[in-house]
Amino acid sequence: MPDNFILTRAAELDALGAFREFIARVCERLQIPNEISFELQLACDEAATNVIRHGYAGMNPGSIMLELRPQRKKIEMVLSDFGHPFEPVETDAPDVNAMLQDQPTTGFGLYFIYRTMDDVQYYSDEQGNHLVLVKELSSK
Amino acid sequence: MFRALRLKQEPVKVAPEPKPLTIDEWMGDAQFPLGIRTINALPHDAKQRFYRTLIPPALLGRLGINPILWRGSGHAVELFAEPASGKVNLSINNVQDPNDAYFVLELQDNATNGIDLNLIILNDPDAEKFGIDFDAEGKATHWGTITRNLAEEERAMRAGLAPAQVRAGMGFARQVLQQLDVFLALCARQAVSLEPLTYASAWIFEKNGFAYVRGHKLMDDIQREFQPGGTLHAALDGSTPFRQPDAWQTVRGRAWAIQDGILEVIGERWRDLRMIKVVGKHAGVETFPNAKY
Repeated sequence: MPDNFILTRAAELDALGAFREFIARVCERLQIPNEISFELQLACDEAATNVIRHGYAGMNPGSIMLELRPQRKKIEMVLSDFGHPFEPVETDAPDVNAMLQDQPTTGFGLYFIYRTMDDVQYYSDEQGNHLVLVKELSSK
Repeated sequence: MFRALRLKQEPVKVAPEPKPLTIDEWMGDAQFPLGIRTINALPHDAKQRFYRTLIPPALLGRLGINPILWRGSGHAVELFAEPASGKVNLSINNVQDPNDAYFVLELQDNATNGIDLNLIILNDPDAEKFGIDFDAEGKATHWGTITRNLAEEERAMRAGLAPAQVRAGMGFARQVLQQLDVFLALCARQAVSLEPLTYASAWIFEKNGFAYVRGHKLMDDIQREFQPGGTLHAALDGSTPFRQPDAWQTVRGRAWAIQDGILEVIGERWRDLRMIKVVGKHAGVETFPNAKY
Protein backbone atom coordinates (compact mmCIF):
# COMPACT_ATOMS: atom_id res chain seq x y z
CA MET A 1 0.00 0.00 0.00
CA PRO A 2 2.04 2.96 -1.18
CA ASP A 3 -0.43 5.70 -0.28
CA ASN A 4 0.29 8.24 2.38
CA PHE A 5 -2.62 10.20 3.76
CA ILE A 6 -2.09 13.69 5.18
CA LEU A 7 -4.49 16.10 6.87
CA THR A 8 -3.23 19.43 8.23
CA ARG A 9 -5.30 21.60 10.53
CA ALA A 10 -4.74 24.56 12.84
CA ALA A 11 -3.83 23.52 16.38
CA GLU A 12 -7.30 24.11 17.81
CA LEU A 13 -9.66 21.74 19.54
CA ASP A 14 -11.93 22.00 16.49
CA ALA A 15 -9.35 19.95 14.63
CA LEU A 16 -9.95 16.85 16.72
CA GLY A 17 -13.23 16.00 15.00
CA ALA A 18 -11.66 16.43 11.58
CA PHE A 19 -8.78 14.14 12.55
CA ARG A 20 -11.16 11.46 13.88
CA GLU A 21 -13.24 11.59 10.74
CA PHE A 22 -10.12 11.43 8.57
CA ILE A 23 -8.76 8.38 10.39
CA ALA A 24 -12.14 6.64 10.16
CA ARG A 25 -12.34 7.35 6.43
CA VAL A 26 -8.82 6.15 5.70
CA CYS A 27 -9.27 3.00 7.81
CA GLU A 28 -12.52 2.25 6.04
CA ARG A 29 -10.85 2.68 2.67
CA LEU A 30 -7.99 0.42 3.73
CA GLN A 31 -10.38 -2.12 5.31
CA ILE A 32 -8.73 -1.77 8.69
CA PRO A 33 -10.94 -3.19 11.48
CA ASN A 34 -13.14 -0.74 13.37
CA GLU A 35 -11.50 -1.63 16.65
CA ILE A 36 -8.12 -0.46 15.40
CA SER A 37 -9.68 2.59 13.81
CA PHE A 38 -11.21 3.59 17.15
CA GLU A 39 -7.94 3.08 18.98
CA LEU A 40 -6.13 5.23 16.45
CA GLN A 41 -8.79 7.92 16.76
CA LEU A 42 -8.58 7.97 20.54
CA ALA A 43 -4.79 7.99 20.53
CA CYS A 44 -4.83 10.85 18.01
CA ASP A 45 -7.33 12.75 20.19
CA GLU A 46 -5.05 12.52 23.20
CA ALA A 47 -1.83 13.30 21.36
CA ALA A 48 -3.30 16.24 19.42
CA THR A 49 -4.88 17.64 22.58
CA ASN A 50 -1.45 17.67 24.20
CA VAL A 51 -0.01 19.57 21.24
CA ILE A 52 -2.86 22.09 21.30
CA ARG A 53 -2.71 22.65 25.07
CA HIS A 54 1.03 22.42 25.66
CA GLY A 55 2.99 22.42 22.39
CA TYR A 56 1.58 25.71 21.14
CA ALA A 57 1.05 27.27 24.58
CA GLY A 58 1.73 31.00 24.44
CA MET A 59 2.09 30.97 20.66
CA ASN A 60 -0.06 32.07 17.76
CA PRO A 61 -1.04 28.46 16.99
CA GLY A 62 0.39 26.85 13.91
CA SER A 63 -0.44 23.57 12.20
CA ILE A 64 -0.80 19.99 13.27
CA MET A 65 -0.13 17.55 10.48
CA LEU A 66 -1.66 14.10 10.77
CA GLU A 67 -0.17 11.52 8.47
CA LEU A 68 -1.26 7.91 8.12
CA ARG A 69 1.28 5.60 6.56
CA PRO A 70 -0.22 2.19 5.86
CA GLN A 71 2.24 -0.66 5.46
CA ARG A 72 1.79 -4.35 4.86
CA LYS A 73 1.27 -5.47 8.45
CA LYS A 74 1.00 -2.24 10.37
CA ILE A 75 -0.10 1.34 10.14
CA GLU A 76 1.98 4.30 11.28
CA MET A 77 0.21 7.40 12.49
CA VAL A 78 2.47 10.46 12.66
CA LEU A 79 1.44 13.70 14.33
CA SER A 80 3.77 16.57 13.48
CA ASP A 81 3.71 20.07 14.89
CA PHE A 82 5.97 23.10 15.05
CA GLY A 83 5.41 24.27 18.59
CA HIS A 84 7.40 23.63 21.74
CA PRO A 85 8.62 20.03 21.93
CA PHE A 86 6.31 18.15 24.27
CA GLU A 87 7.07 14.49 24.61
CA PRO A 88 4.18 12.36 25.86
CA VAL A 89 6.07 10.31 28.39
CA GLU A 90 4.67 6.95 29.42
CA THR A 91 2.75 7.17 32.68
CA ASP A 92 1.62 4.73 35.33
CA ALA A 93 -1.92 3.46 35.25
CA PRO A 94 -4.30 6.16 36.45
CA ASP A 95 -5.94 5.84 39.84
CA VAL A 96 -9.29 4.29 38.98
CA ASN A 97 -10.61 4.80 42.51
CA ALA A 98 -9.90 8.51 42.26
CA MET A 99 -11.70 8.61 38.92
CA LEU A 100 -14.70 6.79 40.38
CA GLN A 101 -14.79 9.27 43.22
CA ASP A 102 -14.78 12.08 40.68
CA GLN A 103 -11.41 13.36 41.85
CA PRO A 104 -9.07 15.10 39.44
CA THR A 105 -6.76 12.67 37.70
CA THR A 106 -4.42 13.07 34.78
CA GLY A 107 -2.45 10.87 32.47
CA PHE A 108 -5.24 8.57 31.39
CA GLY A 109 -4.83 9.55 27.75
CA LEU A 110 -1.08 8.96 27.72
CA TYR A 111 -1.55 5.69 29.55
CA PHE A 112 -4.10 4.73 26.91
CA ILE A 113 -1.70 5.57 24.06
CA TYR A 114 1.05 3.40 25.48
CA ARG A 115 -1.36 0.57 26.27
CA THR A 116 -2.99 0.43 22.84
CA MET A 117 -0.19 1.30 20.41
CA ASP A 118 2.54 -1.22 19.58
CA ASP A 119 5.26 1.38 19.41
CA VAL A 120 5.52 5.04 20.39
CA GLN A 121 8.41 7.24 19.28
CA TYR A 122 8.92 10.95 19.68
CA TYR A 123 11.57 13.13 18.09
CA SER A 124 12.19 16.72 17.03
CA ASP A 125 14.12 17.79 13.96
CA GLU A 126 14.30 20.46 11.28
CA GLN A 127 10.79 19.46 10.19
CA GLY A 128 9.21 19.96 13.61
CA ASN A 129 8.14 17.65 16.42
CA HIS A 130 6.92 14.19 15.53
CA LEU A 131 4.99 11.61 17.48
CA VAL A 132 5.05 8.29 15.65
CA LEU A 133 2.43 5.79 16.78
CA VAL A 134 2.57 2.30 15.31
CA LYS A 135 -0.29 -0.17 15.34
CA GLU A 136 0.23 -3.73 14.14
CA LEU A 137 -2.55 -4.98 11.90
CA SER A 138 -1.74 -8.69 11.89
CA SER A 139 -2.35 -9.28 15.60
CA LYS A 140 -6.01 -8.38 15.33
CA MET B 1 5.45 43.22 -11.06
CA PHE B 2 6.97 41.29 -8.36
CA ARG B 3 5.79 39.02 -5.71
CA ALA B 4 7.65 39.83 -2.53
CA LEU B 5 6.85 36.95 -0.29
CA ARG B 6 8.84 37.60 2.80
CA LEU B 7 11.02 40.14 4.53
CA LYS B 8 12.56 39.84 7.94
CA GLN B 9 15.18 41.10 10.33
CA GLU B 10 18.60 39.51 10.72
CA PRO B 11 18.20 36.34 12.80
CA VAL B 12 19.79 36.05 16.22
CA LYS B 13 21.89 32.91 16.15
CA VAL B 14 21.18 30.41 18.89
CA ALA B 15 23.13 27.53 17.34
CA PRO B 16 26.90 27.44 16.76
CA GLU B 17 28.15 28.40 13.31
CA PRO B 18 29.06 25.34 11.25
CA LYS B 19 32.72 24.99 10.32
CA PRO B 20 33.74 24.93 6.64
CA LEU B 21 33.97 21.37 5.35
CA THR B 22 36.89 19.78 3.59
CA ILE B 23 36.38 17.93 0.31
CA ASP B 24 36.93 14.66 2.18
CA GLU B 25 34.16 15.55 4.59
CA TRP B 26 31.88 16.43 1.69
CA MET B 27 32.60 13.13 -0.01
CA GLY B 28 32.31 11.17 3.21
CA ASP B 29 28.65 11.63 4.12
CA ALA B 30 25.93 12.48 1.60
CA GLN B 31 23.45 12.89 4.46
CA PHE B 32 25.45 15.61 6.18
CA PRO B 33 23.25 18.75 6.05
CA LEU B 34 24.85 21.75 4.40
CA GLY B 35 24.02 25.32 5.32
CA ILE B 36 24.36 28.46 3.24
CA ARG B 37 27.46 29.52 5.16
CA THR B 38 29.12 26.22 4.32
CA ILE B 39 28.36 26.57 0.63
CA ASN B 40 29.43 30.21 0.61
CA ALA B 41 32.85 29.14 1.89
CA LEU B 42 33.45 27.23 -1.37
CA PRO B 43 35.34 28.69 -4.33
CA HIS B 44 33.12 30.87 -6.53
CA ASP B 45 32.62 28.34 -9.33
CA ALA B 46 31.76 25.55 -6.93
CA LYS B 47 29.10 27.56 -5.15
CA GLN B 48 27.72 28.76 -8.47
CA ARG B 49 27.15 25.10 -9.38
CA PHE B 50 25.09 24.69 -6.19
CA TYR B 51 23.12 27.87 -6.57
CA ARG B 52 22.41 27.26 -10.25
CA THR B 53 19.81 24.72 -9.12
CA LEU B 54 17.74 27.51 -7.55
CA ILE B 55 16.67 29.22 -10.78
CA PRO B 56 14.37 27.38 -13.19
CA PRO B 57 16.00 27.33 -16.65
CA ALA B 58 12.63 28.28 -18.16
CA LEU B 59 12.65 31.49 -16.13
CA LEU B 60 16.12 32.32 -17.40
CA GLY B 61 14.94 31.49 -20.92
CA ARG B 62 12.02 33.90 -20.49
CA LEU B 63 14.54 36.66 -19.76
CA GLY B 64 16.96 35.58 -22.49
CA ILE B 65 19.65 34.48 -20.05
CA ASN B 66 21.93 31.52 -20.71
CA PRO B 67 21.36 29.07 -17.80
CA ILE B 68 25.05 28.12 -17.64
CA LEU B 69 26.71 31.48 -18.22
CA TRP B 70 24.03 33.43 -16.31
CA ARG B 71 24.08 36.27 -18.82
CA GLY B 72 22.58 37.24 -22.18
CA SER B 73 20.07 39.59 -23.84
CA GLY B 74 21.25 42.45 -21.69
CA HIS B 75 20.32 40.68 -18.44
CA ALA B 76 22.55 38.81 -16.01
CA VAL B 77 22.17 36.84 -12.81
CA GLU B 78 23.96 38.46 -9.90
CA LEU B 79 25.13 36.22 -7.08
CA PHE B 80 25.87 37.59 -3.64
CA ALA B 81 27.28 34.81 -1.48
CA GLU B 82 30.12 36.18 0.62
CA PRO B 83 32.39 33.52 2.16
CA ALA B 84 31.75 34.50 5.77
CA SER B 85 28.03 35.05 5.28
CA GLY B 86 25.10 32.73 5.97
CA LYS B 87 23.05 34.46 3.31
CA VAL B 88 22.79 34.04 -0.46
CA ASN B 89 21.03 36.47 -2.76
CA LEU B 90 20.39 35.76 -6.43
CA SER B 91 18.95 38.57 -8.52
CA ILE B 92 18.19 39.70 -12.04
CA ASN B 93 17.70 43.42 -12.28
CA ASN B 94 16.62 46.00 -14.80
CA VAL B 95 19.98 47.12 -16.18
CA GLN B 96 18.75 50.71 -16.27
CA ASP B 97 17.49 50.71 -12.69
CA PRO B 98 19.15 48.51 -10.07
CA ASN B 99 16.17 49.10 -7.75
CA ASP B 100 13.88 47.48 -10.31
CA ALA B 101 14.31 43.74 -9.75
CA TYR B 102 12.77 41.17 -12.06
CA PHE B 103 13.89 38.23 -9.97
CA VAL B 104 15.25 37.94 -6.45
CA LEU B 105 15.69 34.85 -4.34
CA GLU B 106 17.31 35.14 -0.94
CA LEU B 107 18.07 32.27 1.45
CA GLN B 108 19.67 32.46 4.85
CA ASP B 109 20.80 30.14 7.62
CA ASN B 110 18.37 30.77 10.45
CA ALA B 111 18.86 30.95 14.20
CA THR B 112 18.71 27.18 14.60
CA ASN B 113 20.84 26.42 11.52
CA GLY B 114 17.79 25.62 9.44
CA ILE B 115 17.26 27.55 6.20
CA ASP B 116 14.90 30.49 5.76
CA LEU B 117 13.53 31.78 2.50
CA ASN B 118 13.84 35.52 3.02
CA LEU B 119 12.50 36.84 -0.23
CA ILE B 120 11.15 35.89 -3.62
CA ILE B 121 10.53 38.52 -6.27
CA LEU B 122 9.15 37.47 -9.65
CA ASN B 123 8.31 40.49 -11.79
CA ASP B 124 7.24 40.53 -15.40
CA PRO B 125 9.62 43.04 -17.05
CA ASP B 126 6.98 43.82 -19.68
CA ALA B 127 4.27 44.68 -17.16
CA GLU B 128 3.53 48.16 -15.90
CA LYS B 129 5.44 49.18 -12.79
CA PHE B 130 3.58 50.63 -9.82
CA GLY B 131 5.40 52.80 -7.33
CA ILE B 132 4.13 51.13 -4.16
CA ASP B 133 7.70 50.59 -2.97
CA PHE B 134 8.47 54.29 -2.48
CA ASP B 135 6.39 57.00 -0.87
CA ALA B 136 5.69 60.47 -2.24
CA GLU B 137 8.96 61.71 -0.73
CA GLY B 138 10.96 58.96 -2.35
CA LYS B 139 11.51 56.94 0.81
CA ALA B 140 11.32 53.16 0.67
CA THR B 141 8.01 51.78 1.96
CA HIS B 142 9.38 48.23 2.15
CA TRP B 143 6.54 47.19 -0.14
CA GLY B 144 3.96 48.89 2.01
CA THR B 145 4.93 47.19 5.25
CA ILE B 146 6.50 50.24 6.93
CA THR B 147 4.74 53.10 5.20
CA ARG B 148 2.29 53.16 2.30
CA ASN B 149 1.96 54.95 -0.99
CA LEU B 150 -1.83 54.91 -1.03
CA ALA B 151 -2.30 56.38 -4.51
CA GLU B 152 0.01 53.84 -6.10
CA GLU B 153 -1.44 50.99 -4.03
CA GLU B 154 -4.93 51.87 -5.23
CA ARG B 155 -3.71 51.95 -8.82
CA ALA B 156 -2.00 48.59 -8.35
CA MET B 157 -5.12 47.09 -6.78
CA ARG B 158 -7.33 48.28 -9.63
CA ALA B 159 -4.83 46.76 -12.08
CA GLY B 160 -5.33 43.38 -10.42
CA LEU B 161 -2.16 43.19 -8.34
CA ALA B 162 -1.92 41.98 -4.77
CA PRO B 163 -0.31 43.98 -1.95
CA ALA B 164 3.50 44.21 -2.16
CA GLN B 165 3.50 43.67 -5.91
CA VAL B 166 5.09 46.38 -8.06
CA ARG B 167 4.46 44.56 -11.34
CA ALA B 168 2.39 41.62 -12.52
CA GLY B 169 4.18 38.35 -11.83
CA MET B 170 6.03 36.15 -14.28
CA GLY B 171 4.10 33.10 -13.14
CA PHE B 172 7.13 31.08 -12.04
CA ALA B 173 6.43 30.85 -8.29
CA ARG B 174 5.60 27.13 -8.37
CA GLN B 175 8.68 26.30 -10.45
CA VAL B 176 10.99 28.34 -8.23
CA LEU B 177 9.63 26.58 -5.14
CA GLN B 178 10.07 23.20 -6.83
CA GLN B 179 13.67 24.13 -7.62
CA LEU B 180 14.07 25.13 -3.99
CA ASP B 181 13.02 21.61 -2.95
CA VAL B 182 15.70 20.22 -5.28
CA PHE B 183 18.31 22.55 -3.80
CA LEU B 184 17.37 21.59 -0.24
CA ALA B 185 17.56 17.89 -1.05
CA LEU B 186 20.96 18.49 -2.64
CA CYS B 187 22.03 20.09 0.63
CA ALA B 188 20.52 17.20 2.65
CA ARG B 189 18.10 19.66 4.28
CA GLN B 190 14.61 18.60 5.25
CA ALA B 191 12.68 21.84 5.36
CA VAL B 192 12.60 25.54 4.61
CA SER B 193 10.84 28.25 6.63
CA LEU B 194 9.60 31.73 5.82
CA GLU B 195 7.46 34.60 7.03
CA PRO B 196 4.71 35.46 4.55
CA LEU B 197 4.64 39.16 3.81
CA THR B 198 0.95 39.32 2.92
CA TYR B 199 -2.24 37.26 3.08
CA ALA B 200 -1.93 36.63 -0.66
CA SER B 201 1.60 35.29 -0.33
CA ALA B 202 0.58 33.03 2.57
CA TRP B 203 -2.18 31.64 0.35
CA ILE B 204 0.33 31.03 -2.46
CA PHE B 205 2.65 29.21 -0.10
CA GLU B 206 -0.25 27.06 1.15
CA LYS B 207 -0.96 26.09 -2.44
CA ASN B 208 2.67 25.07 -2.74
CA GLY B 209 2.65 22.74 0.23
CA PHE B 210 3.59 24.92 3.19
CA ALA B 211 2.11 24.51 6.69
CA TYR B 212 2.18 27.02 9.55
CA VAL B 213 4.65 27.17 12.39
CA ARG B 214 2.66 30.15 13.66
CA GLY B 215 -0.54 31.69 12.35
CA HIS B 216 -2.70 28.80 11.14
CA LYS B 217 -5.39 29.74 13.64
CA LEU B 218 -5.22 33.36 12.46
CA MET B 219 -5.77 32.22 8.87
CA ASP B 220 -8.79 30.17 10.01
CA ASP B 221 -10.10 33.17 11.94
CA ILE B 222 -9.72 35.35 8.84
CA GLN B 223 -11.63 32.82 6.75
CA ARG B 224 -14.44 32.58 9.30
CA GLU B 225 -14.77 36.32 9.90
CA PHE B 226 -14.84 37.17 6.19
CA GLN B 227 -17.95 35.05 5.73
CA PRO B 228 -21.31 36.89 5.61
CA GLY B 229 -22.25 37.70 9.20
CA GLY B 230 -18.61 37.81 10.26
CA THR B 231 -16.84 40.78 11.80
CA LEU B 232 -14.41 41.28 8.90
CA HIS B 233 -17.23 40.96 6.40
CA ALA B 234 -19.11 43.72 8.21
CA ALA B 235 -16.01 45.91 8.18
CA LEU B 236 -15.91 45.85 4.37
CA ASP B 237 -17.92 49.05 4.40
CA GLY B 238 -16.35 50.97 1.53
CA SER B 239 -14.76 53.41 3.96
CA THR B 240 -11.51 53.17 2.00
CA PRO B 241 -10.82 51.96 -1.56
CA PHE B 242 -9.30 48.81 -0.02
CA ARG B 243 -12.41 47.81 1.92
CA GLN B 244 -14.95 47.23 -0.81
CA PRO B 245 -17.96 45.05 0.10
CA ASP B 246 -17.07 42.28 -2.35
CA ALA B 247 -13.42 42.04 -1.26
CA TRP B 248 -14.08 38.98 0.95
CA GLN B 249 -14.69 36.82 -2.12
CA THR B 250 -11.10 36.79 -3.42
CA VAL B 251 -7.62 36.29 -2.07
CA ARG B 252 -6.48 39.64 -3.46
CA GLY B 253 -9.54 41.46 -2.12
CA ARG B 254 -8.95 40.10 1.38
CA ALA B 255 -5.23 40.80 1.09
CA TRP B 256 -5.81 44.47 0.28
CA ALA B 257 -8.26 44.84 3.15
CA ILE B 258 -5.72 43.25 5.48
CA GLN B 259 -2.99 45.51 4.07
CA ASP B 260 -5.36 48.35 4.99
CA GLY B 261 -5.44 47.19 8.61
CA ILE B 262 -8.88 45.59 8.69
CA LEU B 263 -7.69 42.89 11.11
CA GLU B 264 -7.84 45.48 13.87
CA VAL B 265 -11.59 44.88 14.12
CA ILE B 266 -10.86 41.36 15.37
CA GLY B 267 -8.00 42.55 17.57
CA GLU B 268 -5.29 41.19 15.28
CA ARG B 269 -2.54 42.40 12.98
CA TRP B 270 -0.74 40.71 10.10
CA ARG B 271 2.40 39.75 11.97
CA ASP B 272 4.36 36.83 13.40
CA LEU B 273 3.16 34.32 10.87
CA ARG B 274 5.71 31.68 10.01
CA MET B 275 5.42 28.87 7.50
CA ILE B 276 7.36 25.71 6.81
CA LYS B 277 7.68 23.38 3.85
CA VAL B 278 8.96 19.89 4.35
CA VAL B 279 10.99 18.75 1.35
CA GLY B 280 9.01 16.38 -0.82
CA LYS B 281 5.81 16.77 1.18
CA HIS B 282 2.68 18.83 0.49
CA ALA B 283 0.90 19.73 3.73
CA GLY B 284 -2.45 20.22 2.01
CA VAL B 285 -3.38 23.33 3.99
CA GLU B 286 -6.35 25.19 2.54
CA THR B 287 -7.55 27.97 4.81
CA PHE B 288 -9.61 29.56 2.02
CA PRO B 289 -11.33 26.58 0.35
CA ASN B 290 -12.18 26.95 -3.34
CA ALA B 291 -10.62 30.38 -3.34
CA LYS B 292 -10.62 32.72 -6.28
CA TYR B 293 -7.32 34.57 -6.48
